[in-house]
Amino acid sequence: MTYPRLVLRNLLRHPLRTLFTTLSIALSIFLVCAVLTLPAALDAMFERAASNVRISVHHKAGLTYWLPFSSVQKVRGIPGVAGVDHYSWFGGIYDEPKNLFPNFAMDPDDVEAVWPDYGIDPAALARFRKTRNGALVGEQTMRKFGWRIGQEITLRGTIFPVDLTLQLVGVIPAASGNPLVLWFNRKYLDEAMEGRGGFPRVGMIWVRAERPEDVPRIIHAVDDLFRNSEAETAAESEKSFYTSFFSSFRGFIRVILAVGVLVVGAVVLIAANTSAMGVRERIPELAILKSLGFRRRPLLAVLMAESALVALLGGLLGAGGAYGIFRALGAAGKTGGAVPFLGPLGAFRVSATVGMEGVAIALLVGLVAGMVPAWNGARLNVVEALRRLF
Amino acid sequence: MIDIRNVSRTYARGADLVHALERVSLRIPAGRFVALMGPSGSGKSTLLNLLAGLDRPDAGEVVVAGQALSQLDEDGLAAWRARHVGLVFQFYNLLPVLTAIENVELPLLLTSLPRAERRRRAATALDAVGLAPRAAHRPRQLSGGEQQRVAIARAIVTDPDLIVADEPTGDLDAKSAVEILTLLSELNRAFEKTVVMVTHDPRAERFVDAVFHLDKGVLVNGGPP
Repeated sequence: MTYPRLVLRNLLRHPLRTLFTTLSIALSIFLVCAVLTLPAALDAMFERAASNVRISVHHKAGLTYWLPFSSVQKVRGIPGVAGVDHYSWFGGIYDEPKNLFPNFAMDPDDVEAVWPDYGIDPAALARFRKTRNGALVGEQTMRKFGWRIGQEITLRGTIFPVDLTLQLVGVIPAASGNPLVLWFNRKYLDEAMEGRGGFPRVGMIWVRAERPEDVPRIIHAVDDLFRNSEAETAAESEKSFYTSFFSSFRGFIRVILAVGVLVVGAVVLIAANTSAMGVRERIPELAILKSLGFRRRPLLAVLMAESALVALLGGLLGAGGAYGIFRALGAAGKTGGAVPFLGPLGAFRVSATVGMEGVAIALLVGLVAGMVPAWNGARLNVVEALRRLF
Repeated sequence: MIDIRNVSRTYARGADLVHALERVSLRIPAGRFVALMGPSGSGKSTLLNLLAGLDRPDAGEVVVAGQALSQLDEDGLAAWRARHVGLVFQFYNLLPVLTAIENVELPLLLTSLPRAERRRRAATALDAVGLAPRAAHRPRQLSGGEQQRVAIARAIVTDPDLIVADEPTGDLDAKSAVEILTLLSELNRAFEKTVVMVTHDPRAERFVDAVFHLDKGVLVNGGPP
């Protein structure tokens, strides 16, 4: 007989209760690990998608304001610029209103100059340039809708009063970090808009600098170029653009983190209740142990160890599960889009640090939850307890 | 061995005060087998708790084997009980999650004995009460009499000076009760353990050296049966 054996035997007294308590802690720690991973995952997504030589240029008043088409040509003249393309948010819906995804009109001729890091198949790029209604589609969107190369799809306009039928000519690899987008030829949109007064504007301009160190200078040069014009610009690095674009998402993450904290709080209460129930049931035994000469400290240690062990086991299961499951999801789709219904979640990685944080939180849950019941059990008045017993 | 001097003990029960013991004095020499008898509420168990170091008197002094228990703090009393007192209860009170031998070994966790020695002593104690073959059984697999034997083995495993038994036959059938009384008597004779037992069982008088009667917290008479 040893103290660890005593702890283990006590835990196995009600195996189902111990199992359910362990699993409830495991599930919450799984959730906590996933939640703790969100900020890092978001940063990783930005890092993957953003280039250190690409610059976004949009209207100073915001993304919903258009820039004159002529601005594109003016930016090309800035020294140090390696390529310039433009984006115009078409806002097309595929089939049903719920199927809204990012689709942009742009210039196929400049794709290679601005996004050489995307790894787009040169043959696909050639088809994109040649095909009047050609479109390149992000790998994840392609999978989501079950599209295939050569297929024609129709996007219903929500901003523009036209519907466009596009021929899918190639894929934008998920490894580009931009797996949802659809690009089509701006000239095709211009033709469709001809009878409706045309559309001589763009939503934003993408610039690629020749060297990373040119980026700050080009950003200033672009903004200086359009200062005091009818459409002043706000140029920024691609990462900065994504970060501010998704700033509302960060607020959402903060809400999720708060929910995570509440989950931990709820689990503490559940575990504390279970622990208190366990101690209450064992008051006669604790009284006997005290009468045999067991002092407060070893009893406190045994009771705390029981609570901590369940929590630790739950923490290891939860954190290990989160680590393993997200790794498996990642391995299942190295492209990042193998599990389309998970969206960006499929590309999450729970780091070893987050896993250890999860285990530490679980241990803390166990210690906090066990503290009061264990203290009450250990400082039991033996005569009072024996009197209740007999 | 046991010297109880002018001991009083009062409990609060709700708004009322219960005078469980009033100026009780009693001497029990070492190596005796003594029964405390009396009606319910007469103060037998209170007296037993005091001499086992489980409770403290409001007035008076309890001295066991030369140790004045009032001089010990809570931890000191716990350590003293672990070393000098073996306790047997009416309802056996074995830990249901442990086997018979593990229950017997439990008090030895408070000693510095190595694991193997603890197990050896527990096996010896279990053998002394005739339950060696049932060592691996859980309490629920044992009869009431067997469970009480395990409890007695647990009480003697630390080789205490004093065995204190509170209604040890109260939950047993007649045959088992006699077996338990015989066992306590043998332990008293063979190992010269002082045994103090609270009981309602009239059969106990045949086995003990002396019977002390209490009524309403007062020692009414006492001496050899």
